[in-house]
Formats: sequence, structure tokens, C-alpha cells
Amino acid sequence: MKKIIITTVVFLGLFFTSSCENELDLNSPNDITVDQYWKTESDAQAGVNSIYAMFYKDGLWARWIYFRLDLTSDEGFSNSPWTELADWTRFNYINYNFWEGNAVTWRDTYKAVFRCNQVLANVPNITFQNEDDKKKILAQAKFFRALHYYYAGILWENIPLVLDPSTPADLPQQRNVTEVWAQVEKDLNEAFADLPVSWSGDQTGRPDKGAAKAFLAKVYMQQHKWAEAKGALEYLITGPGAKYNLVANYRDNFTDVNENNIESVFEIQFGDQRKGGTGEDQNAAVSSNRSQFFAPRGIGWSDGQARFWLVNAFKQEKNKDGNLDARLRYTLYYPGLLADFGDKTYGKNWEWGNDEAWFRKGSRDYYRNNEDYYNQVNYRLVRYADILLRYAEVLNELGNTAGAYQYVDLVRARSNMNTLAVAHPEIGNDHDKFLERLKTERVLELAGESVRWEDLKRWGDLNTQASVDKIALRDPDFKNFTVGKNQRLPIPQVDVDNNPNLDQHAEY
Amino acid sequence: MKTKFTQILKQRYYLLFFFSLLVQQMHAQQQITITGKVASATGEPIPFANVVIKNTKNGAVTDFDGRYKITAASNQTLIFSSQGYKTIEIAINNATTVDATLAEDAMKLDEIVVVGYGSQQKKDLTGAVSLVKAGEIQKRQVTTVADGLQGLVTGVKVRGGGRPGQEANIEIRGLKNLQNTNPLYVIDGVITSANRDFNPNDIETIQVLKDASAAAIYGSRAANGVIIITTKKGKKGPLKVEASVKSSITTMPRYDLMGTEEFAKLNNQAYDNAGYPRQNLNMAVNTDWQDAVFQTGMINDYNVSVSGGGENSTFFMSGNYFDNKGTVVGTDFDRISFRVNASGTKGIFSIGENIAISNSKTDEMSGNPIIDVYRMTPTIPLYDAANPGGYGYGKQGVADTFGTNPLAIADFSNAINENFRIRGNVWSELKLASWLKYRFNFGYETSFDSYKFLRKIGNWTLNQPVDPSIIDQNKGRSETMLFENTLNFKKQFGKHDLTILVGQTFQKDKYEQIYGTKRNIPINSGTGQYYQVLNQGDSPVVGGFINEASLASYLGRLEYNYDNRYLFNAVLRRDGSSRFSDENKWGNFPSVSAGWRVNNESFFKSEFIKDLKLRASYGELGSGNIGNYEYKSFVNNFGQIVLGTGQTLYPSATQVKLSNSQLRWEKLKQTNLGLDLGVLNNDLRFTADYFIARTEDVLFGFPILLTTGNDGGNPISNAATVENKGIELELAYSKKINEFSFNASVNFTKVNNKLVSLGNGQNENIVGNTMTRAGSPVGMWYVLQTDGLFQNQAEIANYKNADGKVIMPGAVPGDIRFKDVNGDGQITSDDKAIVGSPWPEFEMGLNAGAEYKGFDFSMNWIASHGATVYDGFRSVVDRFDDNSNYRAGIQPWTPENPNTDFPRVTKGSTLNSRGDSDRFLENGDFIRLKYIGFGYNLPERILNKSGIARARLTLSAQNIITITKYKGLDPEFSNGNIFERGVDNGAFPNLRTYSFGVEFSF
Repeated sequence: MKKIIITTVVFLGLFFTSSCENELDLNSPNDITVDQYWKTESDAQAGVNSIYAMFYKDGLWARWIYFRLDLTSDEGFSNSPWTELADWTRFNYINYNFWEGNAVTWRDTYKAVFRCNQVLANVPNITFQNEDDKKKILAQAKFFRALHYYYAGILWENIPLVLDPSTPADLPQQRNVTEVWAQVEKDLNEAFADLPVSWSGDQTGRPDKGAAKAFLAKVYMQQHKWAEAKGALEYLITGPGAKYNLVANYRDNFTDVNENNIESVFEIQFGDQRKGGTGEDQNAAVSSNRSQFFAPRGIGWSDGQARFWLVNAFKQEKNKDGNLDARLRYTLYYPGLLADFGDKTYGKNWEWGNDEAWFRKGSRDYYRNNEDYYNQVNYRLVRYADILLRYAEVLNELGNTAGAYQYVDLVRARSNMNTLAVAHPEIGNDHDKFLERLKTERVLELAGESVRWEDLKRWGDLNTQASVDKIALRDPDFKNFTVGKNQRLPIPQVDVDNNPNLDQHAEY
Repeated sequence: MKTKFTQILKQRYYLLFFFSLLVQQMHAQQQITITGKVASATGEPIPFANVVIKNTKNGAVTDFDGRYKITAASNQTLIFSSQGYKTIEIAINNATTVDATLAEDAMKLDEIVVVGYGSQQKKDLTGAVSLVKAGEIQKRQVTTVADGLQGLVTGVKVRGGGRPGQEANIEIRGLKNLQNTNPLYVIDGVITSANRDFNPNDIETIQVLKDASAAAIYGSRAANGVIIITTKKGKKGPLKVEASVKSSITTMPRYDLMGTEEFAKLNNQAYDNAGYPRQNLNMAVNTDWQDAVFQTGMINDYNVSVSGGGENSTFFMSGNYFDNKGTVVGTDFDRISFRVNASGTKGIFSIGENIAISNSKTDEMSGNPIIDVYRMTPTIPLYDAANPGGYGYGKQGVADTFGTNPLAIADFSNAINENFRIRGNVWSELKLASWLKYRFNFGYETSFDSYKFLRKIGNWTLNQPVDPSIIDQNKGRSETMLFENTLNFKKQFGKHDLTILVGQTFQKDKYEQIYGTKRNIPINSGTGQYYQVLNQGDSPVVGGFINEASLASYLGRLEYNYDNRYLFNAVLRRDGSSRFSDENKWGNFPSVSAGWRVNNESFFKSEFIKDLKLRASYGELGSGNIGNYEYKSFVNNFGQIVLGTGQTLYPSATQVKLSNSQLRWEKLKQTNLGLDLGVLNNDLRFTADYFIARTEDVLFGFPILLTTGNDGGNPISNAATVENKGIELELAYSKKINEFSFNASVNFTKVNNKLVSLGNGQNENIVGNTMTRAGSPVGMWYVLQTDGLFQNQAEIANYKNADGKVIMPGAVPGDIRFKDVNGDGQITSDDKAIVGSPWPEFEMGLNAGAEYKGFDFSMNWIASHGATVYDGFRSVVDRFDDNSNYRAGIQPWTPENPNTDFPRVTKGSTLNSRGDSDRFLENGDFIRLKYIGFGYNLPERILNKSGIARARLTLSAQNIITITKYKGLDPEFSNGNIFERGVDNGAFPNLRTYSFGVEFSF
């Protein structure tokens, strides 16, 4: 009896021993591991698509980047009761790690870069049936890496360039902004080579050669590389990529009814199919939150609104018929909107301040009376009108002021405005006067479209106290602006503290 | 609820009837019958005393009156024993009546301590083990065991709160890792957590294993210490029924906040000072948000147990219903639980089981009303028909705040958690020889979890978008299976006493969940209520996941005792975990300890010193307390993107979260030196322990650089080395003089925490306002330092650095002067410095009790000294740049009132309100009367005729006296963030609790 028991015990013991050691190899039944991934064309395709999903993150084009580009500029401001949020639109930077104002945009930029780098590192090892498809995928990754580094360069200037897939212990080296621009140029030139001239209808929204040239033009212009910029822009205007035009109806640039139209050079595709958050959850949204944050009080959070000088700027010049510039109607909500154009504000009579205005572009009052977190209106990041005005600017900088007029006139004509020469004969061929006028033209055409901050930087308007003082007349937040400091954001302090290869800007 | 309780009682009754049939009767042999009474020296009968015939296995047990009946040969000898009394032998000598008087055992050292896979006598312990009397915990009104341990044990720090169903955090001997400080719970041999599903009334014993040598047998899971709980067992003897009812009322501590009139004055002042137009305050409203949200809570705790046993089997059954209506609107917790413990033996075979079934349901707190009540201004009405949903909240220009209306959140956002849990084990033992025992233990725990969230339509804050109604539900199931095989060898060879344990265990954990969400849930027109089912609504989202982990271990322990003088103990455990990669799966964790019972040495002769033992131990423990698949990297394919003229969705997949593939075991190396001393006939006992606990390769996800683009949590790495050194002292005195007995004990704990090094090439880690830097404790306060207020413009102009640069040119008289620590002439983050510690210098507990006749009294005080804490309340209400209510009676700086430390109030600047300064740091010292209670046992003469053996009334109170300078709600708050342990950010306070209880047994 005893023997049997002991044998049983020993046997049981051995049984458990051998069986349970095998049980220690557990794989997650929920997800595929990274080393199992990046094997097929569809892996590559979904991988490059994930870069597009970064547009839906709150640090970037779903939400907070508009606070940096639109509200920090003199076009907008924040009157949010959330003081810290508002402070970050008026150069009161105290906590450099403030998530919504700084760190999340920084993090999401690098999150997007990480996705680009994963594609660039892994896709070359995947066998494709058609080598061209592979090239297109890699070219998209390069385009987006350039796009995100471009905006990071605008915001923080001297940043680390991460060009390989991240690992937890990375300590990337900070680069001067000129090196950042060089990398952006390199990626865009390489992307241009392999991107198609256009995509089939079901792929609309992916960048094409024109989009690459447009961003090349932007990065050249920020460096005042006018000749290179001219070359890039000509590709879209007169060169092989000249497939663009202005839509007849100005408002078609800001609603979901005529998306990816002939004026669109690069457009962020938003939708409202998924009602999740801006994170990585199962139902992660594909929408923009901008209108929820920028809509008037009682309709949205109203964390951002437009400066009232914009209203006056539109009213300086009547159109050919002696009426108000119709672009005002679709650019802003303002007290006179009903009287001037017969539009209510989200179905309401004006119930806000007499000197208050809000951004209207991209809002959805054309079919609803409120906003939410699921705005589906595509964001036209670069449209042809911008390209034309840029071309005019480049020609002016290159000494061809006379040649620049026609491009401004194209944009003005769409809005039934007189030609520039007729409306402003005093400019003539004066470079400075032309540029000054062009600055206004860009506001009238592009206000609230996230180009103002880079424009101010490019024009050097943030470089002298005198020009900042002038801006402060329009936007008193610029009284807080310190020349030589606030043209760029402080780098999130956590990264500075934990990366010996990264220094905070000396001024901060 | 009353009906529910009656139902339980009815069910109980049937079960009771059933079990009573099972109780075996004893049969005696035909010899002479002896009866008698066993009593204590004071004449009180001793129930359940053992009466055994010497050199046989035959025996009897006394009844409640201390009476026994036994049949024996007339020349035999009876041995009388009972726990807590000295054993005596009396020869029968033909007598038919043998009464015995047992003297109390002054040594109090024969207590049995369960040490994991076995038990030891307290006097033989070589490690640091504390024993807690279950009664001490059961006296208090607690939801979980952890709550009840506060102040009772040296080295054990408990922080809880009064939210219904809230589970307290326990930290044994300091912060040894950075993941989770909660210890391992072993309930009746099942490795588990003593969460709110567990009924503390079922506890029989609790032992806290504190050092590595004591906990080593539990290896990789024991690094935070082990709390071993055994539940009540039946005892040989007649059926015993016990019932108790305890009812408590609970109240919240309150903030002292302003009413409308005082508020308006200061709010206007803040706007005036900023040069902003004043708000158009609604002076007609004067809302006391605390009155609206806080209420008197109620706790009812009903317990019934039935136990008994015969010669070869015992059983214990209990039922419990616990109900807690919260002190905040819309919160509630209730639990119903049953337990059946039984065991039996036949020959060399014995078998037993412990099983508990419970169902607990929590109506969770939504939002944080603890914060809302001071963020909402008194000028905001509770209700406002103009708002969607009808609740009042901020309004621009009138009450400019994003504060959230807690009543609205409680109404519109409702979360309910329900858990049905079965936990228990079945064991069997084979006594292969008198010195060899084989034991198989199968532990099983499963929980069916259900979560239900309903978002109704309605708003609670300014400018909020109108959300649709949403329902979110999930159903989960967890399952743990534990297999243990152990062989126990125990033999005495002369003066050598040897016990050897070898064993092997395997545990598997699995959790799976499915979830679903839908939007636009309609209202059922029949009931007027929202549907609560996923059938309704649109935009469905469903999902599910499975998590599994397994752990295989081999263990061995050797206990050696030479002549009750030299004690030696060694443990080796080898653990393999599925949580580590193949090359790092296995770890070996040895420990040794030794004790010297000096008082048993022949050379040691002292009447004064009754007991003297020296102990020393060293041990290594592993910890793998991390997520199940942390060492692997996964692809997230949740995302989708919009493309094409049709704006359709396309798949997206990528790696989002980074991981470290080389994770290995975290290792705790702990040294313990201890001393036990008993003097004055052991009435005065002193225990001292000194320990050094060093944890290497601490597993933690330190923030990595944002430039990695990592999202979804910081990847775990073997990041740091942490060291805790500490002293634990306990002094206890007990004395009995005739009918009066008295006891008192003081315990003292001092732990010094230090981060030795931080991995990943990092030197420091900043979380919020805390700095964790190599060489100093974890989470030190790292902030700007204030240096009084500027009284006038000249002071501002003269506040210059060495180069003559005006440091704060933007300041205005009344603003705070910050120290320019680095002397660069401006105030930046570089001026932050370590200014204080969130760690107490020491913590103390005082327990005292007295008994006289039927009356008893006991109390427990706790004290904490030396911690600096961050008052989150003040960091909101004292800031003024963001509207909130304010503290009543504050006197801010004005030109007319310059003699104050409260700076100028202004809406326009964050200078004075910045949260990263020492302005909101406070002294966290406190002394608290944690518990005070009176009990009265009804005298026997009253009970005699009722058939009730014992009746007891109790009256007690908790947290009623707190001495502190802290300005927040409760200095004994808890913060789950390991680095921000000292930040009180809306922590739910401990409640004042007044309880009345009745206990019966018959």
C-alpha cells in the first residue's frame, strides 16, 4: 500500500513538473507580435496607413496643433477659462511639460516619425509582386516624415532627428534647424521621385508628386531659398504637375461636400465613422476636434477664437460689385454676419460680444447647430490658392514683382475682387509694398488655415521688436512676446532632463 | 434589504439542519465514566479544552460550561490542555469526578504561527513575523482586511479611504519596488488578494511575514511581504451558533469654504487686480456644494456562523451580508458571502476544504466629488433649467469655471461593478509515517466580473458638447488554479529537532473579457428610464481579450532546532515565470536564518529575564510583478484611416508601444536582525528588528523619452535599485490583577527609503512635483521655493541677482517672491530644488485595552511624523487665476492688508498660483484616534434561562480625533502613484465612523 502511494506521489510530481514547465511559454492570444509582422504586402500597406492615423491624434491635426499654429499667431487667441491652456497661446510658458500646450504635440510628432521609420526599416525586406508598389509605400513614409519634421522645425526649430525605429533607451542627438530642413528636403525629394502623379479614386488622400513639391516649396521658402522654391512651385503651376485650379465656390474648401477637389494639393482626410477617442483604442476616431474647440461659447468649448482685426481687414476693400468680400462670410463668425450676409451663427442670432469673432472654416453650421468631437470635414493643408500666393511671393523676392501680380489676381478673381493693380495702384513694382500687400492677401485668403505662424516667421516679423510691436496692435498677446525667444517653443523639459544629447533652448 | 436578510437566514436554517445530521456522535468504551469541569484560575469555565487520556488518542472536549465527560480506566491519567493555558496532568485514581484548574500560560509563546506550507511555534521563529489577533480587526468596521491592520503591526503601513468598496493599500517595510506595494495574500493556502470580496469576519488568524527569510517559501511573489490568513474552523464539540449585527454611521470631514457674500468680495478683488471686468455674479444663489453632495453614510454588517465537529471531522459555516451606503451621493457597496470549511480524517488519510462564495456590488463614484465641491463656486445653482439636463454649472462671464457639477455626474454617469467570486481549496494529507507527511493542495479561485456603465444625456460643465447616451458593458472572468505537492519530514533525534519540507507548485492565471458599447440608447417609454441593455442603440463596438500567466516553482525548507537553544532555518525556491523571455524565465532564491534562545542556555540564569532570543536572517526574493506579456512587442491594428472619394475606412497597423525583450527577475535582498525579550514574568515584552532591504533590477516603466514616440504606457525595464533600512520596535505590557486586566502596546516603525541607482542611463526621474534621484528617497519634493511677498515696487526693483539683473520684473506688490536658486536672474524650472520628503520619519501605533468583569475597553492611536505633503485642495482654492470656491476667512495681500502670507489674488496671472512651488507643501504630521471601543458581556445569570451562551454589546468609533496642522481633508490619505505618494489630490478621506454591535452565541 505504502509503495503504491509513494509511487503515485513521485509519478504525480514528475507529471506536474514536466507539464508545467511547458506551460511557461505563453503567447498573447490577442495580438500579433512585432517579429511576426512586416512579412506581407498587406502588412506594409496597413503599416504605412498607420502614419495617416497620426492625423487623428490630439497632439497633431485632430486638436492641439491648431492652438500652436492658429491661436498663437495674431489671427487667433484663447479666452479659455483654463488659464494654462490660454497662457500657451500668449507666450506665458511656465511649465514646459504642459501636456496639451506642448508635450503632446512633441510626442505625437515623434510617434508619427516612429511609424514612418518602422515602414522605412521593415518594408524594404518584404517581397512585393510589383516593385513599384513597394516604392510608393516607402515614398509615402518619407513624405510624412518630412511633413512632421517640417512642422516640428517650425515649432521648436532645433530638435533631435530620429531616423530609425525607436528603442526604449534611445538618446537621439539634437540637430540645428538647418539640419532638420536638410533632412526634410532629402525625404521630400526622394518621396517625389517615387510618388505617383496622382492616385486612383479609391486612394485619394495619399500624397502625390504635387504634394511633395508643395512641401518642398514650403521648406525652401522658410529658408529663403527662393530659386529652389520657385522650381518646386512651378512643378504645380506650369510644370508636369500642373493639374490644379481654383474651385469656383470659395466655401468648397471648407466643407465636406466637395472634398479632394481640383484646388486641393494635400488634404487630411477626416471622417465620422468611428466614435472613439484620439488614442489607440479599438474604436479610435478618424475625426477632427477643431470645430468643437473653436466654436462659440454654448456651441463648443470656445477655447480658441479669432481676433477682431480680421473682420476689419476684410472690410477694407469691396469687391467688383461694391459688396463685401464674400470670403469674410466663410472665414469668420462675427456680430455683423447676419446683417452683412444673412447668415445666423449656428442658427442663433449674435449673442456674444460686439468685438468677438470665431473661425468658421471647417465648422459645420451649414447643416447642424452644434459641434462635437467627430468633425468629418477634410482639412486642406495645402491648397492651390496658397501655392499661387506663394509663387507670387517667390517671384517678388526674386525681383520679378511685375510677374507676380497675375498669381495674386487669380486668387482675387475667384472672389470677384478687382485686380491688384486696379485696387492698389500705389504698389507698382515696389518689392516691399508688394510683400506688405501680399501679407494681407494671404490673410484674406488663408486666415484660420494654419499658415499664419510660418508666414510670420518667414517674413521676419517676429525678429524685431518694432515689427512685434506692430503685431501687438492687432493682437495684444504679443506684448508678452520676447524677441529672440518666443519664435520657438520650449522643448518639453522631461526630454531635456533625461537626454544628455538634448539641450533646452538657451532663452528658456 | 430586510427581506434579503430574512432569506439568508432561512437558507441558513435549512443548511444548518442538514449539517446537524452529519455531526458524528462519539462512542465510549465500557470502563468507568468520569465527569468534571475545567476552569481557569479565576473560576471561569474553559470551553473547548482538550481532555486526553495519557498515552492514548482518546479524549474529549469541554462544553461551554467547561464540563466534560469521558470514559477511561480508573488507573489512567488525564491531560488537560487549552490554548493560552498551561497543560496539566491529573491521575484519575478511581475518582468519577475530576475537576481541573488551568493556570494561564504566562509565556504566551506557544502561539502557533502559520509560516507557509507549515506552522511553527512563535518561540522557534527566526524570521520577522507578526501575529495579529483577528479580534482586533473584527472589532473595527472595515470593508477589507487591510483597513483593519492600520496601527496594529510594526512595519506595516496602511492607507485607505472611505469610499464604499475602496480597498486600502498596504506597504510592508517601505517601498521596495516601484510597481505595486501590496503584499501577497495567502488565504487557506490559496494565493490570492484579500479584496473587498473577502469577509473579514471569517478570519481566524493573521500573520504578517515581513523579512525575506520568513517570506522566502513564497519566493517570487513574496517580495512585498506575505499576509497569511487562515479562516475559522469548526472545533470538536457541540454545535455552536454565533450571530452578530453591527451598524455604523459614517460622516465625511468637511472643507471650510466661503459662502456667496465672502466669495464675491474676493472674486471681484481677483478680477479688479487683473484689470478685468468683474463677473456678473449671481448673488441670489448661495449653494453649499458639500451639503448637496455629502451625506451621512451607513454600514450594516450581519454575520451568522455555525460550527461544530466530532471525533474525526469538523465544519464551519458562515454567512455575511455587508451593506455600505456611501457618504457621497450615488455610491454604494454591498456584499453577500458564504463560507463552508470542513475537514475529516480517517487513518493516515485526511482531507479538507475551505470554500467561500461571495457576490459584491459597487455603485462606483463617478467623477470626483471630493474635488468638485470646491471647484464649484457658491454662486452656481444646483439646478438650472436652461442647461441641457437641468443642472447648474459654470457660465462665461457669470461663473467662469470648468468645474463639474457632481450631482449631474452622479445622475448622468453611472458605473456599477459586480463580482461573483468562488475561492477555496481542497487539500488532502497522507501520513506516510509518523515523521513523513505528503500533502496535496488544490486551490481554485474564479470571479465573474461584470461592469455596466450608462451615460445619460445631460451636461455637467461649461461649454460641454452634448454627448449621446452611451452604454458600455463588459463581462470578465478570472480563474486561478494552484497545484501544490509537498512532502513534510519531521523528526527528533535526541536534542536535534529536524523538519524538512520539499515541494513543487504550479499556478495558472487566466482572465478573459468581452465588452460592448453602443450609442444613442433610447428611453424605454414604458418605464421612462434608459434601456440598460446592449440590444438598444447604435454604433456598436465590441471586443474581447484573454490574458494568461503561469508560474512553476520548486521549494525546499529545512528547520533545525538544537535543544531549544539554537535554531536554524534555510529555504531555497526556484521559480519559473511565463512573464519573462526564455533565457530569463527561471530564478533561484535562497534564504537562511538563525536564532539563539539565550534564556535556555544553562549559563543564563535570570529570574528577571524570562525570555531572550536573538535572530538573524538573510534572504533573496524574486519578483515578477508585471503585466503578462511585457517583454514582447505587439502590433496594434485598432486604427483605421479614411481615404478615397467615397471617404471609406482602410486598415492600419503598427507598433505603438515599445518593450524591453531582456526583462529578468527583480531581486530583493533582505537582512534582518531581531531581538525578543520578555521580563517581569513575561508581562513586559519587547521586540526589536533592524532590517536592510535592497531591491535590485527593480521592474518599472520609467518614462522614456517622448522622442521615442512611445505610447500606451512606459515599457517595463529592470530599471533601478532601491534600498530600505528600518527599525521596528514593539513594547507590550499586560497584567491581570484579580478581575481587572490591562494591556498596552506601543509600536514604532522607522524606514529610510533610498533610490540607489536609476537604470536606463538616467540619473533622475521627475514626476509632477517630485524628483527621484539616485542617492535620495523616491519622490522627493522638487519645486520652486517661495520667499515671502513683495511689499512694494522698490522690493521688486531691488530683487536682483549678482549681475544686477532684476529677477522678477513682471511682479506686482503682493506677489510671491521666488528664490533664484541658480542665480541666473530669472525664475525658471532650473531654480527648482529638493525641499522636502513625502516620507514620514517615523510612524507609531498605540494600543491599549482593559477589562473588568463584563466590561472591556480598547483603543488604537496612530501617529505619523516628518512627512511633507502636497495639499491639492489648497493648490486649487488658493490659486485665484482659475475660478473655484475659496477657503473661508483667508486674508490676501492688499495694500491695506500687507501683513499676511497670502499673496495678492489675481485672475490675470499664474505667477502666484503656480503649482510647482513650495506654497502648497504642508506638514503632514498627525496623531489619530483610529479606534476606540467599549464592550459589555451580559452576565451569565441574565442569560441562563434564554439558552444564549454569550451576549455582547459593543459601541465603537473610528477616526474621531485627529490632531494635525494639515489643511486638507485628511492627513491619512492615499495616493496610488508611487512617486507622488505625498500628493493629496482629491483622495477620498477616512470617515468618522460610529458603530453599535450586538453579538450572540448559543
